[in-house]
Amino acid sequence: MRDLQLSLNQTQRVRLEAALHELQSLAPAAAAAAAVTVADTIPVNDEDNILKGHGTSDQDGEVVATLCGVVERVNKLVYVRTLRARYKPEVGDIIVGRVIEIAPKRWRLEINFSQDAVLMLSSMSLPDGIQRRRTAVDELNMRSIFEENDVICAEVRGFQHDGSLHLQARSQKYGKLERGQLLIVPAYLVKRRKQHFHHLERYDVDLILGCNGFIWVGEHVVVGENTDKTEVKPALSTEVENFTPLETRKHICRLANAVRVLSALGFTLTVELIIETAEASVSSNVEINAMLGAEFYVHTAEAEAKRRADLLRKKSGAR
Amino acid sequence: MEESRADGRNPNQLRPFSCTRNPLDRAHGSARWAQGDTIVLAAVYGPKPGTRKGENPEKASIEVVWKPMTGQIGKQEKEYEMTLKRTLQSICLLTVHPNTTTSVILQVVGDDGSLLPCAINASCAALVFAGIPLKHLAVAIGCGVLEDGEVILDTSKAEEKQLKSFAHLVFPNSRKSASSKAPNQKEEDSEQGLISSITHGVMSEDDYFNCIERGLAASSRISDFMRTTLQKQAPGDA
Repeated sequence: MRDLQLSLNQTQRVRLEAALHELQSLAPAAAAAAAVTVADTIPVNDEDNILKGHGTSDQDGEVVATLCGVVERVNKLVYVRTLRARYKPEVGDIIVGRVIEIAPKRWRLEINFSQDAVLMLSSMSLPDGIQRRRTAVDELNMRSIFEENDVICAEVRGFQHDGSLHLQARSQKYGKLERGQLLIVPAYLVKRRKQHFHHLERYDVDLILGCNGFIWVGEHVVVGENTDKTEVKPALSTEVENFTPLETRKHICRLANAVRVLSALGFTLTVELIIETAEASVSSNVEINAMLGAEFYVHTAEAEAKRRADLLRKKSGAR
Repeated sequence: MEESRADGRNPNQLRPFSCTRNPLDRAHGSARWAQGDTIVLAAVYGPKPGTRKGENPEKASIEVVWKPMTGQIGKQEKEYEMTLKRTLQSICLLTVHPNTTTSVILQVVGDDGSLLPCAINASCAALVFAGIPLKHLAVAIGCGVLEDGEVILDTSKAEEKQLKSFAHLVFPNSRKSASSKAPNQKEEDSEQGLISSITHGVMSEDDYFNCIERGLAASSRISDFMRTTLQKQAPGDA
């Protein structure tokens, strides 16, 4: 994850400061006031019925924070939620990873975690789609399914005893990702939602937001049948017959740059925000490579500040 | 009696210090703490399952590895490791993750005096960045006693050669209420106490208590700095 190297001139710096300041003030006031660091006391009203959750402890009769974060209260539960936590995997998360090693009967993937994830051969659907026992021949042909440095999308199945992840890729929508870009952003910018696979029809592009902070933007792949894959196989090794059209490539680059700018600014990544940023760049006629420049950076910050202000105004106006 | 020190500081002045958040990507938490030219890089991995053989399985255990800038690991490094382990064990909440091991690895990048306090500060910051629950922060300061009884803080390497004796003191940081908007309206510095104290050389009792007083005053400055560093948020965080 690299920060953008920007050189802002004076007016841009001023505009950026103003936009960031506005965003800070727009943040819900309760959250800003409730930020705690270690060993801060948390004010509680009824001392006797409070449930002390994660990140708190009882010292001398007072509730003291043991982590740095914001205080959340749900009924009688008080806990501290960390803001910039490292990626903490849970069962059922959609993950994008890169193969680093082929080991006996498994692939080892690099995901943004302290240990590498493991994808067992038995957790992977075979190319011919038949459900059968994996034989020694399958094991020898593992390299024909995934090689080193391939990008794969999978789901977390569970944890191993030493804390590393077990993945599975049994469904059609998981598997090797081709013809696109992989972006690495801090993991706390991707929140868990119901949908992580997004197909953007307007651009004919697939967008996969991995919970570990790996984001894939690529050409849309039709999730189709497997039966004709075996005939197409020999052609893949030599040359790809149909290239990705230039328009789709431009859209992919535009969306990828939108993600880079948003992650450099530190905004939570959602599909709507990414599409909006890409469209804003089109409407203001910004060149694709100029999207990573200082002007668009400042422009995006201002647009986001305006959007949040409008949202807040609409909410307070509707009430 | 007020002779200025070699680099022009007065006896109570600390060197400019800085703390970088998570310079290492792979570690769970890391911090690079610099005090003048003394720089220590601390990395925290954990909590990992399983404890060592001799450790109590009902509590979490902390394992410290100290890597010097040059040379092999010897007795001095082992002593530092043991000191750090005891200090960090007293600030961590050990019953939250029983039967786990948290590893703290320290790499000395630059050594210009006050190495142990710098390392303690760095490892405490790294533990916070890793999200490990702590009772309070550990703020370490090095005090030296000169030949004439003068107490100086945050000694550099050249000054350490002339000292009669010195003490490394670790204090807990001050507790502050989370909802107080006005800063420093009421300093809760009743019985703060001392976490660790490592002394070398011969000093009188009065000198020792003098060191503790000066160190306590300076530690509040460092703990304020730590507090602001830990509270920095990105603009889009909700």
